[in-house]
Amino acid sequence: MSTVAMRVLDRVAERMSRLAAQRTSRRGLLARIGALVVGGAVLPLLPVDRSGRIQRARAQAFAETAQTTDPTQCNYWRYCAIDGYMCSCCGGGPSTCPPGTYPSPSSWVGTCINPDDGQAYLIAYRDCCGKDSCGQCACLATEGEMPVYRPQLNNDIVWCFGAPNMVYHCSSAALIGKA
Amino acid sequence: MIRGRWTPPLFGVAGFALALQLSQGIAQERGTEGLPPEAVLEVSEEHTTAVLPEMDPHWVYVLDPVFPHLIASKIYVVDGDGPRILGMMNTGYVPNLAVAPDRNTLFVAETYYARGTRGARTDVITYYDPRTLEPTGETVLPRGRFLVVPKKPNLALTTDGRYLLSFNMEPATTVSVVDVRERRYVGDIEVPGCALVFPTGPTSFSMLCPDGSLVHVRFDPEGGEPEIVDGEPFFDSEADPVFEHAAVSRTDGRVFFVSYEGRVYEGALQPEGLDIVASWSLVNEEDRAQGWRPGGWQLLAYHAPSDRLFVLMHRGGPWTHKQPGEEVWVFDANTRRRLARVPLAHPALSLAVSQDDSPLLFALSEAASLTVFDAVSFEEKGTLEGLGDSPFLLYVADE
Repeated sequence: MSTVAMRVLDRVAERMSRLAAQRTSRRGLLARIGALVVGGAVLPLLPVDRSGRIQRARAQAFAETAQTTDPTQCNYWRYCAIDGYMCSCCGGGPSTCPPGTYPSPSSWVGTCINPDDGQAYLIAYRDCCGKDSCGQCACLATEGEMPVYRPQLNNDIVWCFGAPNMVYHCSSAALIGKA
Repeated sequence: MIRGRWTPPLFGVAGFALALQLSQGIAQERGTEGLPPEAVLEVSEEHTTAVLPEMDPHWVYVLDPVFPHLIASKIYVVDGDGPRILGMMNTGYVPNLAVAPDRNTLFVAETYYARGTRGARTDVITYYDPRTLEPTGETVLPRGRFLVVPKKPNLALTTDGRYLLSFNMEPATTVSVVDVRERRYVGDIEVPGCALVFPTGPTSFSMLCPDGSLVHVRFDPEGGEPEIVDGEPFFDSEADPVFEHAAVSRTDGRVFFVSYEGRVYEGALQPEGLDIVASWSLVNEEDRAQGWRPGGWQLLAYHAPSDRLFVLMHRGGPWTHKQPGEEVWVFDANTRRRLARVPLAHPALSLAVSQDDSPLLFALSEAASLTVFDAVSFEEKGTLEGLGDSPFLLYVADE
């Protein structure tokens, strides 16, 4: 991505962060995990509660029937709040975009529990953009999913902000850290 | 190769001529002499294009984002009295619709890339004639629009129908204002952090904010500074957020938001903004014990002439807010009493009710079927199966 685009995104991220911070109650601030990922770096939109207590409680139900071996299935552990066509069924993977598509430099961040180690991890729900819908393996999970007035926790948005274009192809779920 | 390229059309023309001769030959051979006039069939007819009559309250516009081919969305026009399809519009990528209060125009917010999925992006309000379903003009939205699985409150007309408000997230949040009488882009209003548009007057609207409050905006169509007033939180956006799809009636000014857990927040359109005046629950202790809760997509509908509220309900645990409804619960919005429970053969994502005095209730299922009920007796009137790929939203006149 060009430096100009990066600068624009940085500015947007910073602005969003400031605005969201102004409009979110202190309780919400402490409780939520919200971040905008730009160019691979996690820019906290809000002070992030790394213990992820509330998110963890939400992710628990999904983890009960989740598995860690097959990312083409909707119960793959990282998909606890994903919505769309799984890139793993479209020539990509949980953190790889199919050929000719672009990972969005922005994403929303959820928390999922890995049933193998029982640990909570931060997942960047980043869309792959630039071609029409892949159309394979449609999954919808809604653990902790919020309406669009809380965009950092909403899975209906085309998360292609900053990609070469905003056409949605498929959904990925990249691991970006421990919650 | 050249020959090959030219052969099919020539062959086609020859084939057509041959078919014409044959058909004439057959007609001549049979003859019609001596037959009674009613037995003589018309052999040639004019091939016309249908024009629809004036928009009927029983029509419903069904917006299909076509998930498997998102850049090729459609809006179907369906006559609820069939039910049958009356026509269709092609509406680009994740569109939104608004119906003019005078029923003479359909406004569709659309996004296109010049080469399908590549090239320059254009966001437009396209004006459609509801009788011919043809575009009659467009206004470009220079700041773009919010690209999301279509939600009704992304696009709405002010209460008198003069200005169209299009929510935008880039991801900074703005509202684009279009004067639909002059077909002119007025400008974008920056409303930091808040989302969706709920018009409250001829030049005013409210939006939902992350802390559970509304923000009230009054704009100047001449481009002056907008007046933006923050409201107080009326719901807990962390523990029990309200759904985006509220029921808002332009007719009687009543507004209903419903939360994930089934709490109703009732409000009124006031000159200074949307005012939340009361709160009550859709579920009693027994319902709650059985796991009943609201869910789906466009999960609420309100019939202004009879003050009835319709809600899609299902049984499920927390975070099942997008699960389709297995029943429609009908409430008297004045007494807040439940009047009926209407079971659905096809669990529904979206609901709408026509606003006339013999109302129809429309339930749109995940399996792309539209079921029509009499909205008073709840008798099922019919089901249209295979309506597009993934229809999601319903619009009726005079909402």
